Amino acid sequence: MLDALTSGIAGLVVLVLLIAIRVPIAYSMILVGGIGITMLNGPAMVMSQLKTLAYGQFSIYDLSVVPMFVLMGALATRAGLSQDMFRAANAWLGWLRGGTAMAAIAACAIFGAVCGSSLATASTMGKVALPELRRYNYAGSLATGTLAAGGVLGILIPPSVVLIIYAIIVEANIVTMFMAALIPGLLAVLLFLLTIAAYVALRPEAGPRGGSGSRSEFVAATVGVIPVLVIFILVIGGMYAGFYNPTPAAAVGVFLVWLFGALRRGLGLSALREALLDTAKTTGMIYLILLGAELLKIFMSRAQVPQAMAEWAVNSGLAPMTVLILLLVGLILLGCLMDSLSMILLVIPFFWPVMMEMNGGLYQGAEGAGFGMSTEDLKVWFGILALVVVELGLITPPVGMNVFVISALATDTPMRETFKGVMPFFAVEILRVAVLLAFPAITLWLPAVLRG
Amino acid sequence: MTLGSGRGVRAGPIGLARNVIKVWALMGGVSLVAVVAINVISVVGAVVWKPFPGDFEMTEVGVAVAAFAFLPYCQLTGANVTADIFTAGASPRWIAGFTLLGSVIALGFSLILLRQMYLGMVDQKAFEYTTAILQFPHWIAFVPILVSLALLAVAAAITLVENAQTMAKA
Amino acid sequence: QEFKFTLHHLLPAKAPAQTKMLEPWAKAVEDNSGGRVKIQIYPAMTLGGRPPELIQQARDGVVDLVWTVNGYTPGLFPRTEVFELPFVYLNDPKAANLAMYDMFESDLREEYKGVEVMFLHVHAGQAIHMRDKLVRKPDDLSGTKLRIPTRTGAWIIEALGASPVAMPVPELPQALQKGVVDGALIPWEIIPPLKIQEQTEYQIEGVDKARFGTTTFQVSMNKARWDGLPDDIKAAFKKASGPEWWGQVGDIWRASDEFGIGLAVKAGNQHITLTKEETDAFQKVLEPVVQRWVDEVSAKGIDGKALVAKARERIAAHGGK
Ligand code: NA
Ligand code: NA
Repeated sequence: MLDALTSGIAGLVVLVLLIAIRVPIAYSMILVGGIGITMLNGPAMVMSQLKTLAYGQFSIYDLSVVPMFVLMGALATRAGLSQDMFRAANAWLGWLRGGTAMAAIAACAIFGAVCGSSLATASTMGKVALPELRRYNYAGSLATGTLAAGGVLGILIPPSVVLIIYAIIVEANIVTMFMAALIPGLLAVLLFLLTIAAYVALRPEAGPRGGSGSRSEFVAATVGVIPVLVIFILVIGGMYAGFYNPTPAAAVGVFLVWLFGALRRGLGLSALREALLDTAKTTGMIYLILLGAELLKIFMSRAQVPQAMAEWAVNSGLAPMTVLILLLVGLILLGCLMDSLSMILLVIPFFWPVMMEMNGGLYQGAEGAGFGMSTEDLKVWFGILALVVVELGLITPPVGMNVFVISALATDTPMRETFKGVMPFFAVEILRVAVLLAFPAITLWLPAVLRG
Repeated sequence: MTLGSGRGVRAGPIGLARNVIKVWALMGGVSLVAVVAINVISVVGAVVWKPFPGDFEMTEVGVAVAAFAFLPYCQLTGANVTADIFTAGASPRWIAGFTLLGSVIALGFSLILLRQMYLGMVDQKAFEYTTAILQFPHWIAFVPILVSLALLAVAAAITLVENAQTMAKA
Repeated sequence: QEFKFTLHHLLPAKAPAQTKMLEPWAKAVEDNSGGRVKIQIYPAMTLGGRPPELIQQARDGVVDLVWTVNGYTPGLFPRTEVFELPFVYLNDPKAANLAMYDMFESDLREEYKGVEVMFLHVHAGQAIHMRDKLVRKPDDLSGTKLRIPTRTGAWIIEALGASPVAMPVPELPQALQKGVVDGALIPWEIIPPLKIQEQTEYQIEGVDKARFGTTTFQVSMNKARWDGLPDDIKAAFKKASGPEWWGQVGDIWRASDEFGIGLAVKAGNQHITLTKEETDAFQKVLEPVVQRWVDEVSAKGIDGKALVAKARERIAAHGGK
């Protein structure tokens, strides 16, 4: 008979094998979790727990923001918001060398303010921006690379589904996490724009100047972003200001995007139906993974794996910063193979206890802490770092979901070119992680100010 | 997960089941929209008068009912994420076999969950579990959820049959 | 060890509920058994599920022991709920715990189906925390929004003419700070973990530490597991869970409460103690809550009126008011 810890580790190996042979990640977790608990404690225990576990998980109040933000993004896609944003960004930046690509990045960032998902941002903006980029004869790699990378902004700029899940796992305040994500997100936008500028400075033929529109076009296009700004201010701003909790905020967002779509583009029942079916797919997928992660967590807790990991890290003699960097590198490597949400759900329950113990425990204040900050702040900082590195997985080969999405839209550009085009953005993302690591204040400043 | 030729409308019991599953997902969507409405009303109510009592617990119940209703549609449309990279080079026959394994697990799990959550509903009813403010009995929410799980089993059976057909053809 | 038990609860490992209550109790049981018992505590829902599922987990044997809040499953423990009522519970957790001990066999046991209760307890009682509004009479609360603790807590808030607002506890500091709620009905002991002193100005309680109802908790074991234990092991649990312990738990929660209010006062908050007259005014407004509860449980065939009388009498007998 294996001891508990060994069976826990064996369970993780089997989990990886199942995932490798295309068993959906959620079902891999369910199977390993269920069988693991059965091996440790007998079948009655897991069977009894299944009577209420799924209902309990699916009715977590904090989680209700997830389907709402997904629905908001699905409606935004159909409400023509993306065209308006791209048109405005193009009016501002299009006349520059590489300007149309820069406009795509800016539009992705603005769209990210009303959409919580990276893939939705990539595919929506891809549909709008790719034809324009092609019209101006952009190099295929730059065009597709820009959009695949720009899609990542969908989740780096709040709201963000991955961040909500992280907050629930570590019991952080969602609003605080959304506040912390804003400046690092804007930093990403800035760095992406500079990357394009540098790229076209080196290879001018890759990104020609777009046309500069008339003054009236400039004004009309700029006016077009006002609805998005109003929605962002009411939803995220209202949440920052503490006017309401994330759930009502998201509900208001859904309502406003729908209202805008209905008034402006005649968004009808069939569009609503499509948006709901999209939401059904994404939400069902996320909730099933959550259930699997909970079953896996029970198995791992009973096998004492997270405790053993935290203990091992504390006794390893490694500096806290070294452990943090190792964990982040681990996430980047895992990101080559897995999607961001599954990674957060799979890994954070192991990594967070390690971080917490390295810092000195849950109630540690800034004084004498392993990372020189209170555990509350560490929760926020680590969350943003983890978010950035798991999102990198969306653009790294071999499995880069954003690249897949854009490749499906740009059938004339080989996927290899897209991966090549994404590399400069990947490089500046690594730079950004280093900056966020070196200067925690970039992440922690805004929440501290807004909380007063 | 691949659907092979299964996408699109088909006649017969499988086609009917597909439609039912899609309509059921839309019903879940209606539940989600209702939750959105309750929250918007509560926000507006808090400004002009007072918050909707029980918005919190109705959100919990409504979203749970919706999420369960989405599961069969997810299974049917292959929306559950997989890591395809390791098996990208495998033959279609092997890939269909792997996918079939996923469908088998989904079928087994949905049946187990259906049975256990039925027992869960019996408990909820026997012990009279309710929400705190509106005192809404939780077992009522279990009724549509059990339908969702039954449909999940149907969806898994459909994908299983299709995977088997793909395997036989390949 | 021959007998291993899992004890599952919702708070972090370093919360006083674990360090000051559950750990000493577990240690006492282990010592009583001469080292034959080992109780492994799993904090923060590490064995899965959400807090309302804890009681079901104990009943189903998913875990052996749980510490849980009765109010998470409204309506499951209607008889014990009498101890949560305003001005039935007044100000003395020790007396209330001992009163529950006295009434357990005769009045309460029947509602704990499928579990063997080790001990029941209350916290020191709900007080009023306000972000920026001084409250001295029930009218001052009319039209405000307050976070609810339990279903009887929601009735209290409604009786005061305020709106009950439900939200997850981690959201409370933010909601207070930004004015989503004007205040909360919670005990002092929650002040330190949520840093409530930073988000509020006023901590208000009645004369003589009088509170506005409380919350009941239980530590319970799966019934089948209990029935299967040999007598000497049962005795080890019983000995650790006698009336002295129930009383001592009252002292433990009182001490956590004192620590909490001390912290708030040190942070410059105003700790308001209402006068006798002011407290009576609250009692007058809250008396209908007791009646509402009596009507509610009577519909289930429980003699609520008799329970109220008996609870008041037993609490008084143990020196409480
Ligand atoms: Na976003
Ligand atoms: Na990747």
